[in-house]
Amino acid sequence: MGAAGGCDSEGGRRLSTIAKTRKCLLTRLAAASLALADALSPALAQQPKPDLADLSLEELANLQITSVSRRAERLSDAAASIFAITGDDIRRSGATSLPEALRLAPNLQVARVDARQYAITARGFNSTTANKLLVLIDGRTVYTPLFSGVFWDAQDVLLEDVERIEVISGPGATLWGANAVNGVINVISRPASDTKGLLAFAGSGNRESGIGVRYGMDIPGGALRIYGKGFDRDNTVRANGADVSDGWQNAQGGFRADWGTATNGFTLQSDAYRGTIDQVAPGDVRISGGNLLARWSRQLASGGHLQFQAYYDQTEREIPGTFIERLDTFDLEFQHSFQAGSGHRLTWGGGHRSARDRVTNSAGLAFLPPNITQHWSNLFIQDDIELSEQVRFTAGIKAASNPYTGWELLPSARLAWKPDPSRTVWTALSRAVRAPARLDRDLFLPGQPPFLLAGGPDFRSEIADVLELGYRAQPSPRFSYSLTAFHAAYEHLRSLEPVGGGGFVIGNKMKATTNGLEAWGNYQAATNWRLSAGAVFLDDSRKFEAGSGDTNLANAGNDPKRQFTLRSSLDLPGQQEFDVLARYVGSLPNPPVPSYLAVDARYAWRPLKELEVSVTAQNLFDKRHPEFGAAATRSEIERGVFLKVKWSH
Amino acid sequence: MVALIKRMLFVAAFLAAATALGQGDRALEPQIKAAFLYKFGGFIEWPAAAFARADTSFSIGVLGADGVAAELERVVTGRTVQGRAITVQRLKRGDPVTGLHLLFVGQPEAGRLPEILSAAKGLPLLVVTETEDALTRGSMINFITVDDKVRFDVALPQAERGQLRISARLLAVARKVITG
Repeated sequence: MGAAGGCDSEGGRRLSTIAKTRKCLLTRLAAASLALADALSPALAQQPKPDLADLSLEELANLQITSVSRRAERLSDAAASIFAITGDDIRRSGATSLPEALRLAPNLQVARVDARQYAITARGFNSTTANKLLVLIDGRTVYTPLFSGVFWDAQDVLLEDVERIEVISGPGATLWGANAVNGVINVISRPASDTKGLLAFAGSGNRESGIGVRYGMDIPGGALRIYGKGFDRDNTVRANGADVSDGWQNAQGGFRADWGTATNGFTLQSDAYRGTIDQVAPGDVRISGGNLLARWSRQLASGGHLQFQAYYDQTEREIPGTFIERLDTFDLEFQHSFQAGSGHRLTWGGGHRSARDRVTNSAGLAFLPPNITQHWSNLFIQDDIELSEQVRFTAGIKAASNPYTGWELLPSARLAWKPDPSRTVWTALSRAVRAPARLDRDLFLPGQPPFLLAGGPDFRSEIADVLELGYRAQPSPRFSYSLTAFHAAYEHLRSLEPVGGGGFVIGNKMKATTNGLEAWGNYQAATNWRLSAGAVFLDDSRKFEAGSGDTNLANAGNDPKRQFTLRSSLDLPGQQEFDVLARYVGSLPNPPVPSYLAVDARYAWRPLKELEVSVTAQNLFDKRHPEFGAAATRSEIERGVFLKVKWSH
Repeated sequence: MVALIKRMLFVAAFLAAATALGQGDRALEPQIKAAFLYKFGGFIEWPAAAFARADTSFSIGVLGADGVAAELERVVTGRTVQGRAITVQRLKRGDPVTGLHLLFVGQPEAGRLPEILSAAKGLPLLVVTETEDALTRGSMINFITVDDKVRFDVALPQAERGQLRISARLLAVARKVITG
């Protein structure tokens, strides 16, 4: 765990020159794409429009709806800023890890810190201990009660079996839970019935190598798949090229079995993993764990739907010289939705989670008490009201309890107006809560008194009130886009309050407001060529409340003011694919990290139906660049080339 | 904040330009469904009693799917089903279904299926839906999107109860046929 803080602003002038050059480049790119659009538009307008009613039944049944349309169709009703990364998007990106795949979502900030660590958030406050994002893998919350965030080095999936990743930026607390202050990431794997047969791959490159195998089959009444994977990631380097000792080896395996359908069936799934990360002294970092999840869902005769889910998750992390943690989590939840009278769709449910956390402290830091069992409970209800054929109103409230501050209320109200099937205007007002974590209450530095830093015995929940306004449209089968503007006011953010004798205690005396805009779109330029673009603009202002003695606003996180993505997916004749992803991330203010433009490209060829050979180059035009952290201690991310061979039948 | 507004304007201008580029096109999925609904009429036999007179038009009702209704209205202009003119009615919930020959219930109204089906009981009415599990709840034909294509499943027992005879040609195109 590292903090985002640091106060030097050296090199700011040089940065702004680079930023200006990038800005010019982007303006030119935008002008060029508008010119291209102008040139194309007469050609598009003249295309004959086939009358579908003249086609045969067989022809109709084989017509492809563009994937743009399918995505817009599925997401078009949601009154939220939601982006879906499809399994195909992931495959075509050449991503080898979950965080790398998340770079495809324009509404996320993803910064690679070193070989194993990432700082990931939505709508600001990014750090390696970012705590305002909720991440679920097949319904399992992958968060650590240590800091209410995600240890990205412990969460992996077989990306080939991911159906989609839904990324919601903005509060999702009413349905999802207390951590969903700035966003929710929902990783959804394919049902076992969709992954029958053998899939095997092996890949190698200058930065990593990996292998994986999955086998899926029918079992009585359902389907089962089992998988195993492993990788070896190379260490990162400092700005001067010196090696950082953070190379990483990991192995993971698991299974998923499904009986029935997604809405009427039973699912049992499990994963287990073990990894080692180099550390110079006093020894290697070891990470291991596993989980088992069961989900039962039932379509009721009345049209209602019922779901129960239970899981057990165990994770162990040994960082010699820092701490050892073993966490056992039991989670149980249920949800019932039904039509309640005319125009009301009610969803209600609840859940309970218990976690037993055992920490072995070090001379450097201590979580006190070291061993603790904590409980969280929640109850929620949401009513989806159809006010007219075009207007839907959704109101919901969740009551969630945490071991530190008891029950908190998380309400939200959403209004969607759909003047016609291809356009949605929506607005939402929500209150979200980030409940205290052990880091806020139980952390002490150093490991023994006298403490320089002490957890805040009165630390309360951080609160966000968020107003969002969005517009989504699909003006043609080839083009769709989404725009979201948001304003958020945060209260009681974490601060470090000085106490007598040079020590600090963790307090709640920071406030912040953020304003921003998220925009993305998809354009099917030709049947074999798709373009996607995204942009996020974020302005934040932070201040300390009266009475605070803290002076370092940068501790709350380090965010770029703007980021852009442009993606091109081209199918070439002879079963070939060529994909390019360009990402521009603006400079980070404190500690300063220069803006960067990273271009990834992937070429793939399928000489046989079962065989795919691909080459992925990451960071194509740049030897290496830093993405996060203070100059003196940070890693830089090098150019990577990866060759992968995949067999599936 | 001023800079943010400027950027928003820039993005809005870009999107306006891009929207202009795509104008004139319509979402494809409702078009395909509307075309199917029209085509179904040619592959299904209604009992003679379903038509009061020789010139009674073929009547399609659409509930909870304005996009499909709009496409259908466009498609049926100047076309016939089994020699009959076609009328398209956009229904509101609670509207009677008597006199209709085909009823399409869109996803937003799927929760009302039991009610609609009990009203349609014994009537020679082809009920088409676009909701998972709708066939088990009494629908006769259900659209489903598979591999980016609009396909449909057919439940024969329900259709037979409505005295409807579905041609083998239509069944051959169906993704799945439930025979009871």
